[in-house]
Amino acid sequence: MAGARYLYCIADSNEKISFGNIGLENNEVYTIPYKDLCVVIHNCSIEPYKSEDEDKVKLWVTIHEKVVESVWERFDTILPLGFDTIIIGEGEKEPEENMKSWLKDDYENLKKKLNKLKGKAEFGVQIFWDIKIISERIIDVNKEIKKMSDDIKTKSKGLAYMYKQKLENLLKKEIEKEADRCFKDFYERIKRCGDEIKVEKTKKLEEGKQMLMNLSCLLSKEKSKVLGDELEKIDNMEEFSVRFTGPWPPYSFV
Amino acid sequence: MEPNRNAHATLVDLLDRILDKGLVINADIIISVAGIPLIGVNLRAALAGMETMLKYGVMQAWDEKTRIWENEHRKKQEVSLLNGEEVNLKIYGSYYYSKGIYTAWRSGYFYLTNKRLLLWNGEFDEIIFQVPLDEIKGLIIRSEKYFTKEDKEVLYLIRQDGKVARLHTIETSQFKKTIEQNLKIKGLSLTENPVLIEFKEGPINFLTEGEKVTHRGKKVWYLVPVSGIQQETWRPGHLYLTDKRLCWWYDFERKLDFDIPVNRIVSVTVEMRKTSGLNSDREKVLDIAYLVNSTRKTASFSGEQIDEWVQVLRTIISDQRDEETETCPQCGKTALRKELLKKGCIGCGWVSPRLKQKTEDRGQKTKKITT
Repeated sequence: MAGARYLYCIADSNEKISFGNIGLENNEVYTIPYKDLCVVIHNCSIEPYKSEDEDKVKLWVTIHEKVVESVWERFDTILPLGFDTIIIGEGEKEPEENMKSWLKDDYENLKKKLNKLKGKAEFGVQIFWDIKIISERIIDVNKEIKKMSDDIKTKSKGLAYMYKQKLENLLKKEIEKEADRCFKDFYERIKRCGDEIKVEKTKKLEEGKQMLMNLSCLLSKEKSKVLGDELEKIDNMEEFSVRFTGPWPPYSFV
Repeated sequence: MEPNRNAHATLVDLLDRILDKGLVINADIIISVAGIPLIGVNLRAALAGMETMLKYGVMQAWDEKTRIWENEHRKKQEVSLLNGEEVNLKIYGSYYYSKGIYTAWRSGYFYLTNKRLLLWNGEFDEIIFQVPLDEIKGLIIRSEKYFTKEDKEVLYLIRQDGKVARLHTIETSQFKKTIEQNLKIKGLSLTENPVLIEFKEGPINFLTEGEKVTHRGKKVWYLVPVSGIQQETWRPGHLYLTDKRLCWWYDFERKLDFDIPVNRIVSVTVEMRKTSGLNSDREKVLDIAYLVNSTRKTASFSGEQIDEWVQVLRTIISDQRDEETETCPQCGKTALRKELLKKGCIGCGWVSPRLKQKTEDRGQKTKKITT
């Protein structure tokens, strides 16, 4: 069989089945068992999937995810792969053979990972804070900043601009200190609710609302309630808001 | 709060995970896509959070730093102790942390060693709170609303310098007993029945035995002097006048940042001054001159009630003057200043020129009446 194999995930079952034509570009998704594991794939050409069309890529990504989740529903534990992981043949070797020798070499490692993830799911936690409220608070308790911000109103245009720059610098420093404190506290609290945490890059979303922390948390599915309760406490604070997403296949913990 | 997977809102989360993560196959057998922008640079940029990090750009560096730091500190299992330090008790608990505008019960493990009591946070390998055993002055248990909104036993630890820490463990009273026993073994003793005074900002303690607050008021700013790289800065707090001392309580750090015995106060003056280097508005500033080892120092305060404080402090100064002793300028006999000025010297009959003038005036007046 020529061509290459597009990988979706590895599952903890050696069942040989087909999931039907649910793959990218309507390809048939099926399993290839190895010992007590299987790899979930579809047959493809040796060209990776690429496109300049955003919508197309988004569609592909969504399909990739749907396949992974369908497999996840059927089997207990999976190791999801990222988009566009394609195994190719090597000289005389078929892609299938390549895959088997990889599974053989990596078997112990894969088993270990599967055991770790048994019964667990990934949840996304993003905490935002309202820069406006935080700034106001800081202005309120920091005399120098408060005075400066009151004074700006009475200054001429040019001067006001200079003062504003100064004020913003001071404020920035205070905000960072605050961020550091909150981060540590929330991290501790969230850590207590799960098994593992990964700290991800924060992102800018919309004006005024700033992401303070972006976490991926690994925990057993039942425990999401405990985490949810803790997050609700944070969400109830005026200046913070929380996004809680999941359950995701454990992409961040493989 | 329930986790959700609203299709539209989570597309970004999805792209994040599927494009950047997932099991990595470390082999030559796959078409490597890692690091190659196969799917169009624009899209990736928009997804991966590379967008300029707003005008608070510094946060980016902070973000990076935090993640590196978190990685480095994550794996530690036990606190590092000093040489010869032995752990007598380890118990999970928390400490009320209050700095800046942020307050929280921060948790970790309390270690009671033969040298100190400390609270260690393993996640960040950070000692959140510590006190040498010989600096513990008193321990009090109070039942109060914990952050969980339930009534919990909270241990107030008073240090020799008057600072107070609020601690909590699952077994607070047992915790207190153990600390007391350990102090006893070391031959250290605690103040019996220490006092905690309830103020609006919560209970504070800095009073010595029998000391009473005689005057207090609204927020007072104190010009905290230069220390290290910290320039002098105005900080918010409260002034307390007791029958012994004048104290300024720093609200955020919950400690006394300034205190002097009342009899050291030399003079009190008010001046209109700039309180910020950035504008030319003047504000009433109270300067208190006081003596430390015969060196004259000045502490500056500002706030709404400065006039009231001036009055109160001036009364104290004049009361003190009256109780001071002076020597008679004529015969050198020691007498109360008040007596000397009002009545003259009992020894030699000296009277102050002012008093002399007064008696003469009075004498003339009487004469006028009689004539």
